[in-house]
Amino acid sequence: MALLPEGGFRSLSVSRQVLPVVAAIGVLVAAYLILTNQPDRTISDPAEMPAHADGALADGPRVAGAGVVEPSSELVSIGTSLGGLVADVRVRPGDYVTKGQPLFTVDDRALRARLEETGAAIAQARAAIAEAASAAETAGRQLELYRQVEDAAAVSRAEVIRAEGEAQAARSRLNSARAQLQAAQAAAGSARTDLERLTVRAPIAGEILAVHVRPGEFVQAGAQQGGNSAPYIEMGQTRPLHVRVDIDENEAVRLDLGKPAIVSPRGAADQKVTASFVRAEPLVVPKRSLTNSASERVDVRVLQVIYELPPADGRFRVGQQVDAFMPARAKAAK
Amino acid sequence: MLWIAIRMLTGDAQKFYGLLFGIGFSTLLITQQLTIFVNLVERGASGVYNAPEAEIWVMDPVSRTTEVNYAMPATALDKVRSVPGVEWAVPHLRAQASVRTKDGDLEGVAVIGVDDATLIGMPARMKEGEKSVLFAPDSVVIDDTGTTRFFPAGVSPIGERLELNDQRAVIMGVADAIPSFTSTVVLYTRYSNALNFVPGTRNRLTFVLAGVQDGVSPAEVAARIERETGLKAQIRENFARSGIDFIIENTGIPTNFGITVVLGFVVGVAIVGLTFSLFIRDNIKQFGALKAIGVTNGKIMGMVGAQAGLVGLIGYALGVIGTVVFIQVFSANPFFKGFYIPWQIPLVSLVAVIVILAITGLIAIRSVLKTEPAAVFR
Amino acid sequence: MTEQPEQPARSGNPAAAIRARGVTRDFPAGQSTIRVLHGIDTDIRSGEMTYVVGESGSGKTTLISIMCGILWPTDGEVEVFGTDIYRLSDTELVNFRLNNIGFIFQQYNLIPSIDAAANAAVPLIAQGMAVGAAREKAKVLLDKLNIGDQADKLPKQLSGGQQQRVAIARALVHEPRLVVCDEPTAALDARSGRRVMDLLREVAVAPDRACIIVTHDNRIFDLADRILVLEDGRITHDGTEMPQEG
Repeated sequence: MALLPEGGFRSLSVSRQVLPVVAAIGVLVAAYLILTNQPDRTISDPAEMPAHADGALADGPRVAGAGVVEPSSELVSIGTSLGGLVADVRVRPGDYVTKGQPLFTVDDRALRARLEETGAAIAQARAAIAEAASAAETAGRQLELYRQVEDAAAVSRAEVIRAEGEAQAARSRLNSARAQLQAAQAAAGSARTDLERLTVRAPIAGEILAVHVRPGEFVQAGAQQGGNSAPYIEMGQTRPLHVRVDIDENEAVRLDLGKPAIVSPRGAADQKVTASFVRAEPLVVPKRSLTNSASERVDVRVLQVIYELPPADGRFRVGQQVDAFMPARAKAAK
Repeated sequence: MLWIAIRMLTGDAQKFYGLLFGIGFSTLLITQQLTIFVNLVERGASGVYNAPEAEIWVMDPVSRTTEVNYAMPATALDKVRSVPGVEWAVPHLRAQASVRTKDGDLEGVAVIGVDDATLIGMPARMKEGEKSVLFAPDSVVIDDTGTTRFFPAGVSPIGERLELNDQRAVIMGVADAIPSFTSTVVLYTRYSNALNFVPGTRNRLTFVLAGVQDGVSPAEVAARIERETGLKAQIRENFARSGIDFIIENTGIPTNFGITVVLGFVVGVAIVGLTFSLFIRDNIKQFGALKAIGVTNGKIMGMVGAQAGLVGLIGYALGVIGTVVFIQVFSANPFFKGFYIPWQIPLVSLVAVIVILAITGLIAIRSVLKTEPAAVFR
Repeated sequence: MTEQPEQPARSGNPAAAIRARGVTRDFPAGQSTIRVLHGIDTDIRSGEMTYVVGESGSGKTTLISIMCGILWPTDGEVEVFGTDIYRLSDTELVNFRLNNIGFIFQQYNLIPSIDAAANAAVPLIAQGMAVGAAREKAKVLLDKLNIGDQADKLPKQLSGGQQQRVAIARALVHEPRLVVCDEPTAALDARSGRRVMDLLREVAVAPDRACIIVTHDNRIFDLADRILVLEDGRITHDGTEMPQEG
């Protein structure tokens, strides 16, 4: 534009050319900045998939619940019938024991001493029996001798009565000694039984899950329940494992009992297994929160349903939390 | 004729720049204030946007926003998982807690408990550290606003210890999150940790975040959740909207910004109207001469339109550029963190500019149209 | 910008550029109206420089406004080159003016922010010609008016006389068939006035062009081809010279 009226020798007019061009470029740059700086409000997929139902359950009616893995025998807390110092622990966690296998033994020295005492008492009683028997025999023979004497003068009547008394006493002593023997034998039996009881044995076949007792510790009968101390040994039948699923009582009515459930461990939602139905507990219990302190107050009650897990090489462990999805009875919407 | 019109306009530099200032100032005021307003009320939805995976938020029927909530029993999670169409559902805890800092100060913080296994509910990005640091015991992730509140600039918060409800918490990461409306410090932690950090009440589960299966619309699934569980389920957009509405209903912000925007508009009309009218009045004889020579009213209007258009374009551009520069310059300030210019706002201010110019242009042009060409002979 | 076709002169006498018949004009004044023109009948011929002379308030401005189509008469009709201009629509009338009439205003009314050439080219630009071509054409005319070297200057950079020449160029650049000139010498001394009138006669008067000068400057009456004297809305004299008693 050589024809600019402002004359001058300026080749550009600020107001008519520079400004509009600057404005247009500015608007374009601003539009670009505005459009590229729009916030990212898109929904992103979870980096890791949480527990979810799939297969037929994904679309069909279903009930979800949280559960805990437990032994099929439920958890057996092993106690002791006699108190005392632990002498020996025969199992370690993870051991698979057969029914009757010793688990741990309690110090038996006191009982063995008692057993020896009873042995001595038996011997003593036996000696007393022998002594009484010989006395009784002597007294009997003497009485027999007096009985055979015809001559009444030869043996005074008093002599005879004394001999009869001695024989009688000797027989009584023999009986007494026999009774003592029996008592000593009974005491020995009792001591032997107690000795047997000092060895704690597995009540069922199963896996040792936890051992809370070590040699030298003192165990006592009975008192462990209710306190905050753990049971001495926990075991249970882990072949197979069961899972106890809590189902909200409102949802429980919809549950299709008897159908298998899809179960996945917490934190590994992709490792799903199908668990077969075992039973539903007849008692609806208050929900026990699995994540919070035991003193939590709750107003939700849950139906507990037991499912049997298939063998799964250590993927599930007793006490582990799981997410479960179970089919519901098809029904019209509430 | 437009060539002449533009020269007539720019020939009077004083009025030309006055008009540019008027339009530019109005645009700046309207655009910038609307931007701040929108961003400020959108802070009410920051909680929703900070959990980018959740398509549906399930809550107690009395809960209103991410901050105004009422906890549900723990089994609500299972109920939601039972609803067909729900792909996944995870627990989400939001609660207020008091934190004791290393200096002994007591500060209110928001504790957000995210799903233990998947960490769903965390903001999309981390500023420092990885999300997986939350798997460590007692670890929390602080948001970047909280960092500036708790720690002096330049001090890395990583590894700092806090005391929460008599529990030890260690900051292991900094999340890149949108600040909340009140700029409360936010601590993210795992759900099970959060239960310990927050003083106990009977129910703790404040939200269940759910994803939707492919092929089902979130709205449909939300309706289904409401029907089958009796809980309240809102899709992400609606829940964000609820948060925004809550701010709008419960603060004076809309009034304040509304007044400023109206003022910007009025100032624009006043400055531009006066200047434009003066400009036209100065040139009324020339317009009269043009009319006598033989320029139709239509072409005169075209000329005034072109003048208005040029002023509008440049002034609008200056205002929008000013706003963009403002937002860019202040983006480092925590108050303006995450501020953006919604693309609709420049369009709104463009419409405002057009309305301003239309009003003032029509007022100004009236005198031109009414001028008798015969007046040039007097 | 639609090009208005040139109106062919349909009048029987091709020299009659304007034919005014019974032109009456009233202006409202409060409750009543004042009649400014009382049924003017006259013809303006091409090829002549016609003066319309009269005292202030005699109605000469009103008459000239009506004759060139910028003021509606209350009554009567005006034919310009055979076109009854007050039967045209508004737009047609505007375009008629644009194509057929050139104006020289007393105060020139140049646009201050465009240069002399552009000011002179305004009618061409209004007709739709490109700015560059229009300016070139206007420059030729400015050269003819001896201010070609001032073509790139703004009006405020020009002297009063130079501005007037630009205004004259603007009136002639589109070669109108009627040129209307309002008090061309009012602001000038006698010598300058004469020079302007000589110039006008030289460039504005052509065989096919009518030229009307509105003036009350008696120093230039001797340059007229024809003088119409208006008094109180009536033509009281029509001749080649002023009446002696005037």
